Amino acid sequence: MLSAIIGVSTIIVFSVFSEAQLEPKVFVTHSGQVIQTSGDVLDPLYTASTVEFDPEKYLRDFSYGRISESKNGQTIREFTIIAEDDKIQEISPGVFYNVWTFNGTVPGPTIRATEGDLVRIHFINNGSKFHTMHFHGIHPAEMDGVFETVGPSGGQFTYEFEAGPVGVHPYHCHVMPLEEHISHGLYGVYIVDPKEGRPPADEMVMVLNGFDTDFDAENNFYAANSIPFYYQHHPIQIKTNELIRIYVVNMVEFDPINNFHLHGNLYNYYPTGTSTVPTTYTDMITLSQTERGIMEFKYDYPGKYLFHAHKVEFSEKGWVGIFLVNDNLDQKSQTGIDYEN
Amino acid sequence: MKIKNYSKVKTIASGIIPFGFLIIMILYLIGPSSDLLEFGVSLPEITIEKIEFIDSEIHVTVRNTGPIPVKIAMADVNDRIQSAAIEPDKSLERFETALVRIPFSWNEAEPYTIGITLDDGVRFDKFIEAATPAIKSDYKLAGFFAIIGTYVGIIPVMIGLLWLPFIQRIGKNKYNFFLALTVGLLIFLGIDAMLEGFEVSKENFSTNFNGELLIITITLLSFLGLYYSAEKLTSRTSLTTSSKPLAIGLMIAIGIGLHNLGEGLAIGAAIGLGQVALSTFLIVGFALHNTTEGIAIASPLAKTKSPISKIIILGLIAGSPAIFGTWIGGFFYSPYTAIIFLSIGAGAIFQVALVILKWIYQSEQKLVQASIVSGIGVGMLIMYLTSILV
Repeated sequence: MLSAIIGVSTIIVFSVFSEAQLEPKVFVTHSGQVIQTSGDVLDPLYTASTVEFDPEKYLRDFSYGRISESKNGQTIREFTIIAEDDKIQEISPGVFYNVWTFNGTVPGPTIRATEGDLVRIHFINNGSKFHTMHFHGIHPAEMDGVFETVGPSGGQFTYEFEAGPVGVHPYHCHVMPLEEHISHGLYGVYIVDPKEGRPPADEMVMVLNGFDTDFDAENNFYAANSIPFYYQHHPIQIKTNELIRIYVVNMVEFDPINNFHLHGNLYNYYPTGTSTVPTTYTDMITLSQTERGIMEFKYDYPGKYLFHAHKVEFSEKGWVGIFLVNDNLDQKSQTGIDYEN
Repeated sequence: MKIKNYSKVKTIASGIIPFGFLIIMILYLIGPSSDLLEFGVSLPEITIEKIEFIDSEIHVTVRNTGPIPVKIAMADVNDRIQSAAIEPDKSLERFETALVRIPFSWNEAEPYTIGITLDDGVRFDKFIEAATPAIKSDYKLAGFFAIIGTYVGIIPVMIGLLWLPFIQRIGKNKYNFFLALTVGLLIFLGIDAMLEGFEVSKENFSTNFNGELLIITITLLSFLGLYYSAEKLTSRTSLTTSSKPLAIGLMIAIGIGLHNLGEGLAIGAAIGLGQVALSTFLIVGFALHNTTEGIAIASPLAKTKSPISKIIILGLIAGSPAIFGTWIGGFFYSPYTAIIFLSIGAGAIFQVALVILKWIYQSEQKLVQASIVSGIGVGMLIMYLTSILV
């Protein structure tokens, strides 16, 4: 009893009460209301994003590896991928979560090669648990990253396989419990380009993912490229009459489906990117776990266009963005990518 | 003289020294340089204490009820992220509260779940059965509450007091039966008040406030305090045999008054929270239920000639707190006040029950007889049956 009284009085005496800020702040809600407050704004949309991961950079960042040539003329692409599992990252403004990462980010780097290249991945596990890299694609069994688990604190493994088939594929850790390793962030995108290349386009990668921050086997946040509402706050700048190509990979755990709806336009969709002929021309596709594909479209009219999950729950938890289509002053200019890389 | 002073100092010192050691021990255990108790993980915790639906805004009162300071990161309505404001700010020290304002065009009578997410991504939520506009405190509503309180508290108690002439005319055994019946009614009411408190605590309190222990502690303190002051009171005034029943009647009235305050709180809070169906049942149920309280006051008065005016005053003491209860419950509802009033009421009721039992014992010299045992049993049964209506 006495100790309780002393304990409570200690708390009362030593607790520091935060002071109210006197400057009123203003914010705008989804429905356009303007709200004034003397306190803080809780808003993943309108507070300046301080998150450590930059979705803007990730969007168009392709990793082609260190390139050399073998004796028989095959291009060799070497990558070093380091797994970690101790990072605490701000995955939405003000919300911190223990992410498990390949090369420090969720998703990991976008690994890109051309069909027939030799891909060599030097994998280092600097985490505290076992991890692997499991690529979707065609490769020998021992390169599958399932049974050859790589030990923690510096364990190493070299994955080596010929890039193929053409398309967009995920890679992820395949250590049990698999759901835990994936939902913490151990995944990324692996693109195999056809030898003849694809038509020049403004290319981007979107990994549809989510975070279960309270570990109740349901995602609390959804996004394209990890940060909820990011592309709504920072619209993706594109141009009219320019071919846009998006490599979409659904890595959402827990929910059986995810989808991608584009406003004011339709896209040609190439499931898994394995064929050069689109299977559908639509503004809405639904994807299950690790289902992926390539979307191609052009905008005729400038302006702001939403893209989001039409499973609206996901979009209201962050999987929503905006394309800001600007007038293309030089109709002929096209920002293709350099396939000789 | 000096020696006496010296021994006094010694007494005081010997009383204080253990305190000193206690403080040293606590500093050693939880002081700044101590790492002895750094095991396990301290989990943050908040409690959503109140949700109000204002014009196109939802106001959520949150309290940090965990062992460590927290930062509020996000608000959601029905598990969909909403932009919101938090005042005074998003950092909450232990036991500090903040108001989260969520701009949201809510629909009346629809259920809502309000969620608050902390900086570590953990979400806490609270379910509201039906959104109803927060009531505006004005004289009209206060008058409405006063009328409700009168129907629930004063009128039923007065109706119950009308049984007084009947009780006056019956024989000793039957009279003891009615006194025992009163004891039964009171025991039931006391337990009822405590259970009500447990429920409020379970729904609104964080576990680390130890709501159950708080209720038991306040009930016991109220019981002991009233018992002690009542003993002092009755021993100081030269009690004639005629004034003692009145004193007991007064104690019963006070105890029941505190109980009715609790009932008023329940009704006021139900109306305040917009639970219209519930509040109608509460009003009808409590009104029926409370006529039995009139009998409880009437029984000890039966064998003396008490002036009508005094009996009416007793009725008012017992009944009118219901009005204050509806005001407090409707305008300033907080689970803390509800629990405190309910517990004080429970303690008061148990004290009265004991006083009546003692009184019966003084006149009969034994409690185990058919009229008394059956009286208590029937009293509790009556209360149970009428309580089903609530």
